Amino acid sequence: MKISEDTLKNISLLSKLEIEKTMKEKISKELESILLMVDQMNEVNTDKVKPMSHPLNEAQNLREDVIAEDIERDEYLKNAPQSDEGYYLSPKVIDQK
Amino acid sequence: MNDIVSLSLEDQIRLLEKKKISSYELTSSYLKNIEEKKDLNCFISINENALEQAEIIDDLKDRKSLIQGIPIAHKDIFCVKGQKTTCGSKMLKNFTSPYSSTVVEKLEKSQTIMLGKTNMDEFAMGSSNETSFFGKVKNPINSLKSPGGSSGGSAAAVKANMCAFATGTDTGGSIRQPASFCGITGIKPTYGRVSRWGMIAFASSLDQAGIFAKSALDSAIALEIISGFDEKDSTSINKEVPNLKNETISKMEHLIGVPKKIIENIEDENVKKNFLENINLLEKNGFKTKDIDLPFLEYSLPSYYVIAPAECSANLSRYDGIKFGYRCENPKDLEDLYVRTRSEGFGEEVKKRILIGTYCLSAGYFDAYYIKAQKIRAMITESFKNAFKNVSVIAMPTCSNEAFDLDSIQDPVKMYEQDIYTIPANLAGLPAISIPSGYKKEMPLGLQFIGNHLEEGKILNISHEFQKLTDYHV
Repeated sequence: MKISEDTLKNISLLSKLEIEKTMKEKISKELESILLMVDQMNEVNTDKVKPMSHPLNEAQNLREDVIAEDIERDEYLKNAPQSDEGYYLSPKVIDQK
Repeated sequence: MNDIVSLSLEDQIRLLEKKKISSYELTSSYLKNIEEKKDLNCFISINENALEQAEIIDDLKDRKSLIQGIPIAHKDIFCVKGQKTTCGSKMLKNFTSPYSSTVVEKLEKSQTIMLGKTNMDEFAMGSSNETSFFGKVKNPINSLKSPGGSSGGSAAAVKANMCAFATGTDTGGSIRQPASFCGITGIKPTYGRVSRWGMIAFASSLDQAGIFAKSALDSAIALEIISGFDEKDSTSINKEVPNLKNETISKMEHLIGVPKKIIENIEDENVKKNFLENINLLEKNGFKTKDIDLPFLEYSLPSYYVIAPAECSANLSRYDGIKFGYRCENPKDLEDLYVRTRSEGFGEEVKKRILIGTYCLSAGYFDAYYIKAQKIRAMITESFKNAFKNVSVIAMPTCSNEAFDLDSIQDPVKMYEQDIYTIPANLAGLPAISIPSGYKKEMPLGLQFIGNHLEEGKILNISHEFQKLTDYHV
């Protein structure tokens, strides 16, 4: 599997990551070698196999729908890079026109 | 009494119970040792209140738990309320956890003393401890060698007598490989046995917490305490935890499965010879073995390197510079904030895995990669299921080599191959343990036992039997 410049651009965009110009070739090559190793999977016929998402194939635990949260809003907001009166702050997302 | 730091957990408990030593003495001896050996870079942060906490515990009239007053260390992936939890990343360099993980809470309730948080590969992604933002950890046996990863700080700290035992996490071998490299015991229990609440997520269907200690018996004591159902973790198993210490020392019948084809294909002659000699030793001492076949296990690595990066790319999408963690300076708009925060906050290995995961989950590739990998995962799990119809435990080497020189592996696939013998147990959710089994030159090798679901007792028991016959762990 070849990782073209366009593919790298697309997956960086989806990942919200920017790859430095000087690193592009190295990263592409490394991703290619990882995918080449991953492609060994194609040697296996898996036609009749059901995909597995949980190691013990158990249903997830659900709890009763009762209020159990003790949210300490101010404590949690202390970790926010920017906050104001209980809100997280981000750069402006609506254009002014 | 500086030697008290080199005693086994069991011996320390005995001395504490008889009041021959105090938790304060033990804690101060460990802190002194941590200070003296700080060049190994095992710790990211130290608990400034450890001595004070030890004094409080020494003043208690009764012993409320077996491990009361024992000084321990946590991998810096476990949230501790009010303390820094970095996960080895610049992204969380200044993150102070507003709550404690279940593992930490259980050990706090048992009145242990947390000495500090140990160094690790960034977000637990790595097999050498070289990807940590806080610098690499050095192997205590030879400081030019890697301690393994990702829980390298915890493994090195136990080996260098910097704590009585330490917690770790294992997604593809991150407890067992460093245990093998540092010559100590490391156990990853069944998936779901230990709560993942408050343990920073890497690949949620594979991540599992476990223990590093000096022996199987010490591991059993600590593992029992952190195990058990937790309603805060939706994948936690609601099954009773047996008395693991008793199971470890009880008389058990074993039939040890030896996967013949895998052993024949071991490339390193020393590793192969060491493994076969140890099987021979067990046979000579009356343990029965049986050749088994584990089809499709050779596809564990490719399957893992789709599933783990895919889950990692989803889990790490939460680091957006808004709610917690690093934020870039002067973002010009929201998109710029996301992209620069993540590009500046994550290291190279983490970025690579996010990119791989995103690629495998992207439109047009999802079935070819993710679904295919999940199908192979099902086949590998089935192989183990069939094997456990005939044997009680399965033996394999932990790693294909001894600890390598720091900075010696540049090819990512070569680094990933570190985990070829450990990944299968993660894919199938099985408990597995690594114990010291001998040396190649001066560096330790590890023997791995894999057990059936929820049968931690059996792998601890056979490991204990092995440690009665050998002294590699002492």
